Amino acid sequence: MSRKGDMSNFFIRYGFLIVVAVSFVGLGLVQPAFWSGPNQFSILLGVTVYAILALGLTFTLVIDGLDLSVGSTAAMTVMAASYCMVVAEMSGTATVLTCLALGALIGLVNGILIVRLRIPDLLATLGTMFLIQGLQLIPSGGRSIGTGMILPNGEEAAGSFSDGFLFLGQGRLFDLVPTPVLFMLALAVIVYVVLDHTRWGRVFYAIGGNAEAARLVGAEVDRYRIVAYVLSGLIASVGGIILAARVGRGDVSSGGGLLLDAVGAALIGFAVLGARRPNAFGTIVGAIFVGMLLNGLTMLNLPYFWQDFIKGVVLVAALAFTFGLARRR
Amino acid sequence: MTAVSVRDIGKRFGPTVALHGVSFDFNPGEIFALVGANGAGKSTLIKIICGYYPDYDGEILVDGKPVRFSSPHEAYRNGIATVHQLIDQGVVPNMTIAENLALAELLVGEGAPFFYRPQQIARRAAEIAARMGLDHLDLDMQVADLAQSDRQLIAIARALATDPKLLILDEPTSSLSEREADRLFSRLDRLRREGVAILYVSHRLHEIERIADRVGVIRDGRFGGLLQAPFKVTEIVTAMVGDLDRAEDRVAVVPDQSGAPRLELRDLVVMPGAPPLNLVARAGEIVGVTGLIGAGKSELAQCLFGLRQPVSGQILVDGSPVASASAAQAIGNGIFLVPEDRAANAVIPEFTIRHNITLPFLRDFGALFSWSGLIRHDAEKRAAMRMIGAMGVKCDGESAEIGSLSGGNQQKVVVARWLVKPSRVLLLDEPYQGIDIRSRHDINAHLRANCRDRAVIVFAADLDEILEVADRVVVLNHGAVAGQQLVGAIDRRQLVHWAAQAPQSREKGRAAV
Repeated sequence: MSRKGDMSNFFIRYGFLIVVAVSFVGLGLVQPAFWSGPNQFSILLGVTVYAILALGLTFTLVIDGLDLSVGSTAAMTVMAASYCMVVAEMSGTATVLTCLALGALIGLVNGILIVRLRIPDLLATLGTMFLIQGLQLIPSGGRSIGTGMILPNGEEAAGSFSDGFLFLGQGRLFDLVPTPVLFMLALAVIVYVVLDHTRWGRVFYAIGGNAEAARLVGAEVDRYRIVAYVLSGLIASVGGIILAARVGRGDVSSGGGLLLDAVGAALIGFAVLGARRPNAFGTIVGAIFVGMLLNGLTMLNLPYFWQDFIKGVVLVAALAFTFGLARRR
Repeated sequence: MTAVSVRDIGKRFGPTVALHGVSFDFNPGEIFALVGANGAGKSTLIKIICGYYPDYDGEILVDGKPVRFSSPHEAYRNGIATVHQLIDQGVVPNMTIAENLALAELLVGEGAPFFYRPQQIARRAAEIAARMGLDHLDLDMQVADLAQSDRQLIAIARALATDPKLLILDEPTSSLSEREADRLFSRLDRLRREGVAILYVSHRLHEIERIADRVGVIRDGRFGGLLQAPFKVTEIVTAMVGDLDRAEDRVAVVPDQSGAPRLELRDLVVMPGAPPLNLVARAGEIVGVTGLIGAGKSELAQCLFGLRQPVSGQILVDGSPVASASAAQAIGNGIFLVPEDRAANAVIPEFTIRHNITLPFLRDFGALFSWSGLIRHDAEKRAAMRMIGAMGVKCDGESAEIGSLSGGNQQKVVVARWLVKPSRVLLLDEPYQGIDIRSRHDINAHLRANCRDRAVIVFAADLDEILEVADRVVVLNHGAVAGQQLVGAIDRRQLVHWAAQAPQSREKGRAAV
């Protein structure tokens, strides 16, 4: 190998991480408060929900699909959790289980639409996205759900969010680490282990690489593809539960922007370590990088309306890197 | 006078030198065959001539004038027309034959009219069709409805429409049956008489022996020899692989017909309207199944591997009937298949060699408890290294991406995948497609060395490939066994006759209806 080849390989592999490190150091040098512990956790807390969604989405990207309904699934989970707690007066555990079941169910519907009815993934999940966005409004009559809300029949809702449930979103371990961050990191490790170190993960990737070849080595391709969507829906509902517990109410507009942030994080992840494919580590690094950049730039008085532009720049740059530079390898 | 010459063409990809300066002349009215083992630099040279790689050393002369192409389109405008191996890249399936023939000039070319003028297209298409002798086709038919050989002729006709100086045909017969190939050859003969210079690239040396006027050999990126007709296949092979003295050796030994019947097919009807098929394959035996396209080879392989359900009849493995409804079930029944067309059906492109080899049997590399699904990477790695060594895969280690290998080495990897574990029946469907002779030998040698307990069935249309490996040759014709011979008593003419004879039973059946 020539030195030039080594250099370019090095940049393809570590280029993105170097950019992350340089940004981290640079932002802190300009604004030392950026480096403070509480600020670091606030960055992590800020990215938690869409990072979790992005982890679920990674499964569908791995099988060469895409789930556009993750944002609305999470939003619907927020409404469902609020409804369970405030209106139906269910216990925290029952609420969580109900929400997870709903998420998995949405994933199953997506999977069946895509695998059995052969609707292209983008169209099928775009359809369910709309469907869920509408569905979540119906039980509460189109209104947000909060403690003490007036029900359509004129009575006041008697339930409230339990402390245990709220802990999922607002608690802190050792008074420092927010519980949502722990959930995010634990989930990232699980997704990483499943995708990179189990035979199921290998088959997921094989299906994404060449589905026919995967079928001819005996993989139950249709089943795996459905499972990928179920996992995506299930994990999206985890994100929704955490979001509900964090805000403590069911806001009708809580899901806005989640989908694009999640898709962005997962796609940025392609560039990490020159993987050129969806991967758990990249997804989480991508999510944190975007959060860190926005946090730092906001500290430097960047107006809020620049945020989406910055996200777009990072995403386009990462994609250009992945598909342009790294493929020359 | 030469039509096109290449002089001292050299090409490097990063640190690797693909071509070390090769020179050839292509003359009008001559079929020049270019041969070389996989990775010898043959396709690199073709790509340079047709403009894909603008960055090379040496020069290309068209009619004696030096030219340099920066794109395939420029090469095309300078009289170099190429028909690539994948026919469907050369034709637009959802357009009519006429539209395809006139596509370059009247629809997308420079100076093409702004409006779509059906009569003009029909007129021009008819001229082109007449020249190529496509009189048997209705020009208003959709290309999608045509046989492969007709599509091939259309792609060639299109390439010829511009009166090229040089016509490059890259593996033109790779998806044609023998009869279809014959038709193509007679057309090529006609073009040769008309004075077209043809550069013909093929792995099928018997075709080259038959139609080429001269053969240019590339070996390891260098000039390997130039042969004048008449030549023998053995001469070409010697020039291609040099010191490989086993080039014409057979891997098959004296056939042993004493093994226990592993696979037995009883009155199996593989496709509607076909007569029943009966066949036995024994442990330790390599059976070669051949036949023309449409004879039922693929259908039989698919029935055995659970990809297609037989119309009727029984499949017995070790005496007990098996019915596989999917590939997974067939594998469970001990029947493995190396499918045809590795790029479409076997290779996972982004995977490493190791991951490609171990994919079917990941369960065997489980760590902790099998329910955890965890993979023991070290065990996996060892298995991959073992197979790489045993099959002689040339690579930079087990963690190299499979895409970095030559076609023959990729094929070794996808064959190795099914030899990791013992099987009762191993099926290989067209395993030698587009691979060089040395890889073919490596694969055959390994099959022979490892067939002790399994019945191996090789499906291939090419009789030479079959004769090289099989203990017993079975000829299929219209879904049934037309005849079989043991390796000691091969009569080529009889085999060809079986393959080509008219399907009597079916004709009778039709007459009765």
